[in-house]
Amino acid sequence: MFTDTSICIGCKACEVACKEWNQLPGNEPEYRNDSFDNTGELDAQNWRHVKFIDRVPEAPMTTGNGQAWLLMSDICKHCQHASCMEVCPTNAIIRTEFDTVYIQPDVCNGCRDCIAACPYGAIGFNPKDGLAHKCTFCYDRLQANMPPACAKACPTQSITFGPLRELHKKADERVATLRAQGYDQAQLYGRDASVYGGLNAFFLLMAEPEVYGLPNARNAVLPRRNNRGGYLGVLVSAALAMVAGIVALRRRGSDTLQDTTPGEGS
Amino acid sequence: MAEHFVHPPHWEAYIVTYFFAAGLAGGCYVLATLLSLTGYPEDREPARLGFLVPFPLVLLCALVLTLDLGRPWLFWHMLVNATPGAGGLNFKYWSPMSVGAWALLLFGVFSFVSFLGALPWARRPGPLAGTAGRAWMIAGALLGLYIASYTGVLLSVSNQPVWSDTWTLGGLFLASGLSGSAALLAWLVRRRAAAGSPATSWQRLLTADGYFALIELLFIVLFFVSVGFAGTLGVAVRGAWLVAWILVLASLVPALAELGGRRGLVHAGSGPLLVLAGVLLMRIAVVISAQM
Amino acid sequence: MTNHWRDIKNADLILINGANPAEAHPVGFQWFMHAKLDPTKGPGRGGGAKIIHCDPRFSRTSAVADIYVRIRTGTDVAYFGGLINYVLQHNLQHATYVAHYTNASFVVKEGYGFHDGLFSGYDPATRTYNPASWAYEKGPDGFALRDMSLQHPRCVFQLLKAHYARYTPEVVSEITGIPVEDFLKIAAVVGEMGRPDKVMTIVYAVGLTHHTTGSQLIRSGAVLQLLLGNMGRPGGGMNAERGHANIQGNTDHAISWEILPGYLAVPLPGDDTIDAYIAKHAPKKLDPHAWNFFGTNYKKFLVSLLKAWYGDHATPANDFAYAYLPKPEGNCSWLSIYDAALRGKMEGIILSGMTATSIGPDSNQVLQALARLKWLVVMDAFPTTSSEFWHAPGMDPTAVQTEVFLLPTTHWIEKDGSFTNSGRWVQWKEQVLPPQGQARHDHWILADLLHRVRDLYQREGGAFADPVLKLTLDYKDPLHPTLDELAQEINGKDLTTGKRLATFAKLKDDGTTSAGDWIYTGSYPEKGNLAKRRNGVQDPAANDPTGMGFYPEWAWSWPLNRRVMYNRASADLDGRPWDPKRPGIVWNGERWVGDVPDYPPTMSPHDPNAWLPFIMTGEGVGRLFSNSLLDGPLPEHYEPMESPIVNPLHPAVSASPVAFLYDRAAGRLDRFGTPDEYPIVATTYRLTEHEHYVTMQIPRLVQLQPEPFVEMPAGLARERGIANGDWVRVRSKRGMIEVRALVTNRAGQLDLGGKKVWQVGIPIHWGFIGVAAEKHPDRAQHWLANALTPFVGDANARTPEFKSFLVQIEKVS
Ligand SMILES: Nc1nc2c(c(=O)[nH]1)N[C@H]1C(S)=C(S)[C@@H](COP(=O)(O)OP(=O)(O)OC[C@H]3O[C@@H](n4cnc5c(=O)[nH]c(N)nc54)[C@H](O)[C@@H]3O)O[C@H]1N2
Ligand SMILES: Nc1nc2c(c(=O)[nH]1)N[C@H]1C(S)=C(S)[C@@H](COP(=O)(O)OP(=O)(O)OC[C@H]3O[C@@H](n4cnc5c(=O)[nH]c(N)nc54)[C@H](O)[C@@H]3O)O[C@H]1N2
Ligand code: SF4
Ligand code: SF4
Ligand code: SF4
Ligand code: SF4
Ligand code: SF4
Ligand SMILES: [Mo]
Repeated sequence: MFTDTSICIGCKACEVACKEWNQLPGNEPEYRNDSFDNTGELDAQNWRHVKFIDRVPEAPMTTGNGQAWLLMSDICKHCQHASCMEVCPTNAIIRTEFDTVYIQPDVCNGCRDCIAACPYGAIGFNPKDGLAHKCTFCYDRLQANMPPACAKACPTQSITFGPLRELHKKADERVATLRAQGYDQAQLYGRDASVYGGLNAFFLLMAEPEVYGLPNARNAVLPRRNNRGGYLGVLVSAALAMVAGIVALRRRGSDTLQDTTPGEGS
Repeated sequence: MAEHFVHPPHWEAYIVTYFFAAGLAGGCYVLATLLSLTGYPEDREPARLGFLVPFPLVLLCALVLTLDLGRPWLFWHMLVNATPGAGGLNFKYWSPMSVGAWALLLFGVFSFVSFLGALPWARRPGPLAGTAGRAWMIAGALLGLYIASYTGVLLSVSNQPVWSDTWTLGGLFLASGLSGSAALLAWLVRRRAAAGSPATSWQRLLTADGYFALIELLFIVLFFVSVGFAGTLGVAVRGAWLVAWILVLASLVPALAELGGRRGLVHAGSGPLLVLAGVLLMRIAVVISAQM
Repeated sequence: MTNHWRDIKNADLILINGANPAEAHPVGFQWFMHAKLDPTKGPGRGGGAKIIHCDPRFSRTSAVADIYVRIRTGTDVAYFGGLINYVLQHNLQHATYVAHYTNASFVVKEGYGFHDGLFSGYDPATRTYNPASWAYEKGPDGFALRDMSLQHPRCVFQLLKAHYARYTPEVVSEITGIPVEDFLKIAAVVGEMGRPDKVMTIVYAVGLTHHTTGSQLIRSGAVLQLLLGNMGRPGGGMNAERGHANIQGNTDHAISWEILPGYLAVPLPGDDTIDAYIAKHAPKKLDPHAWNFFGTNYKKFLVSLLKAWYGDHATPANDFAYAYLPKPEGNCSWLSIYDAALRGKMEGIILSGMTATSIGPDSNQVLQALARLKWLVVMDAFPTTSSEFWHAPGMDPTAVQTEVFLLPTTHWIEKDGSFTNSGRWVQWKEQVLPPQGQARHDHWILADLLHRVRDLYQREGGAFADPVLKLTLDYKDPLHPTLDELAQEINGKDLTTGKRLATFAKLKDDGTTSAGDWIYTGSYPEKGNLAKRRNGVQDPAANDPTGMGFYPEWAWSWPLNRRVMYNRASADLDGRPWDPKRPGIVWNGERWVGDVPDYPPTMSPHDPNAWLPFIMTGEGVGRLFSNSLLDGPLPEHYEPMESPIVNPLHPAVSASPVAFLYDRAAGRLDRFGTPDEYPIVATTYRLTEHEHYVTMQIPRLVQLQPEPFVEMPAGLARERGIANGDWVRVRSKRGMIEVRALVTNRAGQLDLGGKKVWQVGIPIHWGFIGVAAEKHPDRAQHWLANALTPFVGDANARTPEFKSFLVQIEKVS
């Protein structure tokens, strides 16, 4: 799936289509004081979320240039190297025959480790059913040979679905055109392996990834990286503590125990 | 600078309770083992106490962990792969939660057996005496070390701000767990002292506590430094959390004073409790502040 | 639309004024994006079509536009006027096109003039023009005089040049608030579009129509397009994005009071016979080479319509029942109806699919108007602000004597039938859901009502019963007609053979043909309902042979399945396309090929008697200068009725001199605010997330935009001590709303020649009905955006001035 944010119009049709298809009732309505965004974030009820990044300058301006109000429809990235999948202790998160990352609702037990891990905040917990939820890449639709609901609904074809190779080609062409038009910051995100081994849901961005709330290549790291350091810290701590414990507790030569009295301290 | 865009997993009271209880369970087992293996004969009684503590705590751990799950009755999915058609056991050495589930189970077995052996009416020396017993204790203690520390690693093996920005949490949790355990045992032993147990056990436990507190202090410093380098120190110490950390540091004072020979500070009875409170507060500070 | 949605992909430049297509027409907006993504399109050497969005607010359309400029509401005539001036001053017009395809060469009568803001013929007492002096100088043959050199001082070209010479970049800037250098940047790109190998489309919607100068705002864009030679060409045109999914169909079938189906004029008192009516309303041939197709066939269309309505009762002997047609004495537009109700002159109103209370203007006054009715019928799928008006917050139910009936009707999703989109494509849809609950179809309710009224007339008699008694209801079940039967009736047939017709060219004025709407004749010929055709992108090569996106076998578009109107103008004098890459129709030596030609299919361009390209007008060419509007032959900038400044062009005639002032005419107080009391300019608009007042019933959409707000500039908020999310009170001379402040730089300040003015935007979707209102009953009392808007409309169409008014804003604690 390729999301070209340069032609996204923030209509939220993707959000609604996803809810309709996946029968998600959505959260209680809440006015959020945030541009036109009243959805807030990806969560158990919102598997698509359109971000509105308002950078419109105060002075009247002639050039919107597609960079003043960034609209971006966010989604689980279906990472090649998926943090969520890495940590999930139940193996509820699997890679499907379509190379997508899918949480099996009947296997998940709601430990939420995946939520702690997903660097994109793509997973949410539904207290009603006790499960972690995220975009399924419309697993059921793919099985029936239908495109994902959000891609189908997107009026500007900002979201396109197809074989990755074709999408990559299309995206490369598009970014080249934009660059030629002087959009130096136009870039593909997740097209190559630099973030999480490549994203099956990748993006064309009009500014640096951080602006959109996406980790850049340097920050796109997997949770397991911290095993080594973490356990090393444990080893150091354990070694020090064991030495200290032995030193403190061990039997010391001819020490006798008579010189101190039990009872209340003075 | 590390930038994070994750959502918090909402690990709250249950998880903090678990981290606390696991630190004490593992720590007590380790200390009991140390006392058994290296201490005076008089330490046998304190060691027995030390072996009595972990199992109830493990039960508590299992309880809160299960309660924390969205689907508690599916806790066994941690161990058995329930994916249709897959079958087999779940074990992912790179996922501390997965390893931890097994470790907790095994530790449960060890602590249960040791608990039985430590019951006042148990036959002594039980089947766990001798070399076999020692091996058993050492194995249990290694598990105890793991149980007391992996929770910190588990936090780090994520993409959360603070947690994933430092390698120190496992070590920190271990030192603090041991410190808390030493204080707890010292306190228990002292309460039993009237019944004739040797006075110096608890004093040496307090000395050990002093060392553990020192290690903990070292790790706290390392924690702040590493998180500082990652650029997320502000998350860890913002607002009330700064006060929490000051209190945590304050809670180290009695134990550290022990090393300086200022035993009086701790003898005030509530000293060990203060240490325990610090152990809990530190976990709260680490676990909750990063999720807000 | 002169063109159609898909055609927008053919443009090099897309000028969007008074429209927010990304939000109000998101699906159609894909074609804007296609143009933008196409590297072969665009000004200069291409690299993607450019989008210029000119709007008071930076919207989701602006977000993807290449150039956005902030404009003061109601001033687009100045903007287009400035562009016209720029083109003329720099000689950038498409010279051949202008000379041969527009009325630039036509000489206007002596006596025409424009002074101090008034065209010749103004009568201040009635606030109307007598357009007699806006006519052409006639030659001895009775046709208009032309000067093909365009030098005659009274030829349209010279008049145009003189008229717009006043619209210098500086003046444009002072009126619109667009900085001079920004305006010039746009003018330079637009100026390129007069080249034959370039083409620009102008897209507009109700941001232009909702003004007292609405019709002229649109005409000013059309004049620019004619000068640049962009009318009739793929990728060009003057394109109105229409409203509700079927508002185009509504208009075609005469939802406006002043037209009959197919844009035939409603007869007026004095038009006593068909011939008198034709003499008055049918366009007259003004040039020997003008086909004047409409004028020539007007009578055939009218007689066929009367045959469809009155069947055998319409005979040559009774002038085809022409007498049965109502001949309204006065204006019957929306505003006039509620004004009459307010004056106690209305007995009752039937509202079907329209909620008067919300759609305003001046909702409080509309509520009063409804309260003076004897009865009100609301046909709707939901309770509306109108069906519940009598117990609306602030109303005293005991004081309202109106008897209200709510008839549950099916929603369009519960019936089949056709939608006609903005591009005139008639597309048949299927029923999605069966009727829910007790809902009945609108057309069944109306059929039932007609039968009951008829029974009453039959039993009790009454004055002039024939128009009701003699209506034909030639359906299998007259109480339950199917929409398929209606579609066939609209298409019309040859009454001698009973066969449905394939073209309106076959319609006759002798009573042997019928057609419910002549422009739809051909949509349902004997071979079937063409609106159901779906040969589209499954096979573009076969279904779009020209590659211009005509897809002639997808549905059917009026007239005659033509996709681009006036397409003869897409080819040069020899019948070759102006731009070979973008052919509309092409003369292949024997016939016109490509789109369905807007021209006799085999008429050679070299035929000395060849018709001029614009077959519908009496001139045979496009009108730069037109006497068909009530407020002037050339678009002129007038300030909105409520304006922060006095018109710099002619301070004495600041606002439209001919806008009808209802309050004043009815003896009520004029309620227009002044800038000292109400210094902030406001406009109203739609949000993607909602459809008017219906979707407040749809939880999933309420989640997306739960509460009403006013979009206000950060600077203004600072000035007033208002923070993002605060509740604020917005007041106008007529009423107030209490909504959230959405503080943003997307709204902003205007510099009008040194005078700084704030401008804010208010979305229209809230009221005291719906999910959000139920959640906040206390707050929802003041959520009707139209509580603010003025009760005044366009001088021609009387479309209300929803889009420019003055307000004051303060924080509510
Ligand atoms: N989502 C959604 N789509 C809709 C509808 C809906 O309710 N919701 N309604 C449908 C209907 S009935 C209609 S008529 C169409 C209307 O479609 P639009 O006309 O596109 O809708 P609006 O938002 O009313 O107004 C368009 C823009 O005009 C701007 N504007 C106001 N005054 C001026 C002016 O003087 N000059 C210029 N240049 N711009 C001005 C406003 O800021 C606004 O951005 O939308 C249709 N589509
Ligand atoms: N201030 C301000 N006011 C405006 C505008 C503005 O821009 N600014 N825009 C104006 C414009 S362009 C328009 S079009 C109006 C829109 O005003 P309306 O047309 O009144 O608005 P809707 O809410 O779309 O439709 C009215 C009702 O039609 C019902 N309905 C839907 N389908 C059917 C059906 O098949 N049969 C029947 N009987 N009912 C049905 C719906 O339930 C709804 O209650 O608002 C106008 N008012
Ligand atoms: S985006 Fe998050 S939830 Fe989706 S696959 Fe990647 S890590 Fe997993
Ligand atoms: S919440 Fe479910 S999917 Fe997520 S890590 Fe836990 S078991 Fe796996
Ligand atoms: S792919 Fe399917 S599940 Fe995922 S966001 Fe799109 S519609 Fe929702
Ligand atoms: S549907 Fe497409 S255009 Fe609309 S918000 Fe989603 S991605 Fe953007
Ligand atoms: S609501 Fe319907 S008519 Fe309007 S843009 Fe969407 S699909 Fe088109
Ligand atoms: Mo409309």
